[in-house]
Amino acid sequence: MQITSSKSGALNVATLEGRLDTATAAEAEVTLIGMLAAPGMVLDMTQVRYVSSAGLRILLKLAKEAKAKGAAYSLVGLQPAVREVFEISGFDKIIPSYATLAEAVAA
Amino acid sequence: MTDTLHLRLAPEAAQVTTLLDALEAYAEAQELPMKAASRLVLLADELAANVVMHARGATFFAVDVSRGPDAVTFTLTDDGPEYDPLGRGEANTDASLEERALGGLGVHFVEKLASSAHWRREAGHNIFTITLDAAAE
Repeated sequence: MQITSSKSGALNVATLEGRLDTATAAEAEVTLIGMLAAPGMVLDMTQVRYVSSAGLRILLKLAKEAKAKGAAYSLVGLQPAVREVFEISGFDKIIPSYATLAEAVAA
Repeated sequence: MTDTLHLRLAPEAAQVTTLLDALEAYAEAQELPMKAASRLVLLADELAANVVMHARGATFFAVDVSRGPDAVTFTLTDDGPEYDPLGRGEANTDASLEERALGGLGVHFVEKLASSAHWRREAGHNIFTITLDAAAE
């Protein structure tokens, strides 16, 4: 799991690549928590092949952290397999996601 | 190119990564469509991680994957304590709230994404077999 950071205006953009699975989730969490600050961050998931329950857990943790910090938080570019997991787990109702970065930034 | 995959691994986190890498390569060699491939790797991750994290005393886990025209069959074998992922038996009251929620979600994925799932206990081993739709895009 590789994570690169960039900015879109004032928002931090974390671009993830690979699998967000049991083995990679813990390390990803540390990196992403470090990038979470007001006004907020967007996770670009376009190159994430799949997310397991361990991955979902850290995405949820980040959502809670963001709320506590008053920071914006959303996901962008969920691939069909990842979207499927989000819908099955009901996470699509609690973590905002958008098709493109432009939409996420505008939200 | 072989249509079956067999791996025997030690129940350690790093070996789950080895498993997932092997499954991704297998899915690509078999030209499985995207969702079928993702579901296979996801469910393998959930099930193998469960063994690594909870099967006390297990000395190995083994994976067998094969495919037919319509379905991919994945079997996970381990020599840990008797454990049926689909069982509606006693809740694991020793686990922390987070751990239980995590385990529940993994099994939930199995129930939602696999076409069938079957567990049996044989000669001190848990043998869990799932089938997946090989055409899922």
